[in-house]
Parts: sequence; C-alpha cells; structure tokens
Amino acid sequence: MKPLRTIAVGFDGSDDSKAAVRWAFEMASQVDSDVVLVHAVGLLERARIEEVTAELRETVRRLTGESGFDHARVRLHVANGDPCSVLLRAKDAPLEADLIVVGSRGQGEHAGLLLGSTSLQLAEHSSIPVVVVPSQHADG
Amino acid sequence: MLVINGPTDDSGHQDPGHPERPDRVTAVMAGIADLHLGSDLVVAPEYSATRAELTRVHEGGYLDELDMFCYEGGGDLDEDTYATYKSWSIARFAAGAGISAVDTLRQRNDGVAFVVTRPPGHHALRDRAMGFCLLNNIAVTAAKLTSEGERVLIIDWDVHHGNGTQSIFWNDPNVLYVSTHQWPLFPGSGTPREIGGLDAMGLTLNIPLPPGATGDVVRQAIDEAATPVIEKFGPTWVLVSAGFDAHRDDPMADLKLTSGDFAELGRMAFGFAPRPGRLALFLEGGYDLAALQGSVAATLSSMLGGEYQPESPSSGGPGSEMVFRARAERVLALRQAEEVPTDQDRVI
Repeated sequence: MKPLRTIAVGFDGSDDSKAAVRWAFEMASQVDSDVVLVHAVGLLERARIEEVTAELRETVRRLTGESGFDHARVRLHVANGDPCSVLLRAKDAPLEADLIVVGSRGQGEHAGLLLGSTSLQLAEHSSIPVVVVPSQHADG
Repeated sequence: MLVINGPTDDSGHQDPGHPERPDRVTAVMAGIADLHLGSDLVVAPEYSATRAELTRVHEGGYLDELDMFCYEGGGDLDEDTYATYKSWSIARFAAGAGISAVDTLRQRNDGVAFVVTRPPGHHALRDRAMGFCLLNNIAVTAAKLTSEGERVLIIDWDVHHGNGTQSIFWNDPNVLYVSTHQWPLFPGSGTPREIGGLDAMGLTLNIPLPPGATGDVVRQAIDEAATPVIEKFGPTWVLVSAGFDAHRDDPMADLKLTSGDFAELGRMAFGFAPRPGRLALFLEGGYDLAALQGSVAATLSSMLGGEYQPESPSSGGPGSEMVFRARAERVLALRQAEEVPTDQDRVI
C-alpha cells in the first residue's frame, strides 16, 4: 500500500468538517503524514474571501492546538470551486494528496441525498481513498 | 431576424438576496426592446425538455433526485445553488428553450437566436447541480444537434469556466468547446492543459485570462488561439454560452470588458457560423442589470447588422502574455497526449 504522505481534509468550518479534521490529525499522527485543510470558495463566498480565510485560519490554529498535532505539518489550502470538484483535484499538484477525509455533511447539505452531498459524490468519483467521518464525531 | 424563446414564468425560481434572480431576464428583455426590432423579432414556442432529451447529457438518477428535491420544497443544493418547489419545471423549460429556438431557426433558415432563460446552465454536470445551474441548457441543445449528425461549436465567453459543458462533451468528437474565462476564479477548472478525451483530443480549448483583462485581449485569444482550431473543426452549428459577467461593472469577477467588447465578440461568433440560421446564444451569467441590458443589446445589434453600441470596446489591460502562454501549454499538452494517450482520458 502506498504510504500516506498527505491527507486532504474538506473544511468548511461546519461541525462535521471539524470532526473530520480531528480524525485526520489522529490518523496523521499514527502514519506520520502531513494534513492539508482544503476550503472551496464558491461564487458567493468570493466577495468576502479575506474575512472567511481569516476565520478559517483561526479555527485551524485552535483545532491544531487542541489536538496537539504538529503545527508545522498543517496547511490551509483555499481554492476556487465547489467542494466536491476542489477535493477531487486534491490528488493532483500542488497538494498530491493520498487520502481525502470529509465530514458526512457539509454546510447546507441534506441527509440521505446524493444530490448536494459532497461525501457521497466523492465516494463515487474519487480515484484515491475517501474517509467519511460520521456526524456523531462532531462536537455540536 | 432575432429568434427568442417563448416567455416562461420563472418567478418561482428565486431566493431572496441571491444574485441569480428574475430581474436578470427583465434586463435582457429591456436590452432586446432597445433594438426596436419590430417584425424582425420572432418568438419560438415555449417548450419543456423531455426526459429523453435531458438524459443525453444528465444521468437519470440525478434528474429523479432533482425532481424529488423540488417536489419536497427545495432548498440549498450547495452554498451557491438553490432550488425551489417550482425549479424543476422552470429548469426543464430553460433546457427545452434552446431546442425550440433551433427548430425555429431551421424552419426559417435565417436569423440568430437568443435563448433568454434562467437558471443558467454551463456549470451543471452530468450528475450534479452547481454554480447556480441545475440543468445544462446549452448542452441539451448541442446534444440534440449532434444526435442529428451536426458538428457543434460551443463558444463560452462567460467570465467563469463552463466546467459542466466541458465535462459533458469531453470525449465527444462532434463538439468543439472553446472558453475564455478569468483565472483564477470559480470553478477552478479551465486550464489550457485540459484538451479533451481520447476520442476528442484537442476539441476542448481553454484560454484563461488574468483579472483586469480587457476586450482586446479576449479578441486576441479568439483570433490567435481559437480561430485556427474552429476553422479546422468546421462547425455546422454555433452555440454561445453568453454570460455577460466579464463586463467591468459586474460584481462577480474582475475582467474589464464593455458592451462594445461583447458586440465585437458577437460579430466574431457570427463569423464562425457556416450560414444564416445556424447561431444561437444562451444566457448564462451577468449580474449587473444595467451592464447586462447594454451588453445584450450591443451583442445582438452587431450580429443583426445594427450599430447599437453604448460603450466603446476596451483595450490596454493585461493578459496578452497569458494568451501566448496558454497556446504554448496547449501545444505541449497535445504533444504529451500523443505520446501517452491514456493519461489524458480523464474528466477534470
């Protein structure tokens, strides 16, 4: 099996995505890999991207501190697109991720529907492994 | 002669505060009214796309889910894209409008069509809504045409890359997809290295442009990078994903085009059509209502031989070097694809 050098985590600031980040930190600690938190910038969010990025950086700093994971091995990657497309590109340069981790539902997603579900779409289309962290791991 | 689609009540597809709103169609119709076309304005019958027409470009499961999602009241499909109880019906009319407009062009063997519908379509993928788009309107019409043996050129001058259209026709040898768009910008696809699948190598052509690019750069991109490919392809139909959000006043992006530039682009698109009655434009983006009205009027006027041009074409912005680089990257990608063809057969 190919070693996990980089784990990409879908990160929109939701509780489910924070649970995914915590899981990724635990996994990365065990397999000695880097973690890249990937945030997709949509059409509407672009107008306030600086504010959003600042908020995300603060959340990443807090999550990293709480987990005790090495700050130097965590990056925030902000990219244009919808979450599914951006995460599907994570296997390519510059991230070259070996694994994608997502929460079971992102912001505004509906339970049980393939329609609009990043995790289900990724599971269907990704050519690298995808881990979906269940909602009960979120801290609410 | 200008063919437009029959009026569909799209007021049921709106979300308070969302920029993709019914007022956009009102602005477009005001732009058409400014041309005072009289009897040169022809209205094609309202038409709702059938399931068979939709499944040429969308997965049946996706259509069923979208139908059910709307039936249950709708909601947010992602952070950008919404659907309401009425969206399924409205989207099917939007997807069918192009088919009806093309039929009308064929019957008259003359004119230009402008498909004025919403929601827009060029981001919609085979199995997914995104970027304000539910069904890929231009793709539905293009697929109908190719099923009848036509060769279709799609020019996409919306400021955003039409990832959905590109993906749907990635491996289709009967469709040439050409896009100019701001880079970087949503949806993040549209690099010059995306050139098409194994059966359609070279039939995807992307020309990304930097923020601030003006009309002269877009024209250069079409002239130098696209025209030779289009002439070699030899389209029998030309469809345009006509977004007007590359206008300098549009809030969604940073290109600096004017309505005069859209008139020039319209003239170029008209020149690619093999004969009268083989050119149809589809409304995509465009969110500043005044810019939308003026740009639509200028574009259509230039295609119809008029002189309505409220703003002069723009020039002097950056991007010339990026166009040159895009051509070089594309050549390299094509060369590499010939050497290792299987590496290129993937949808991005």
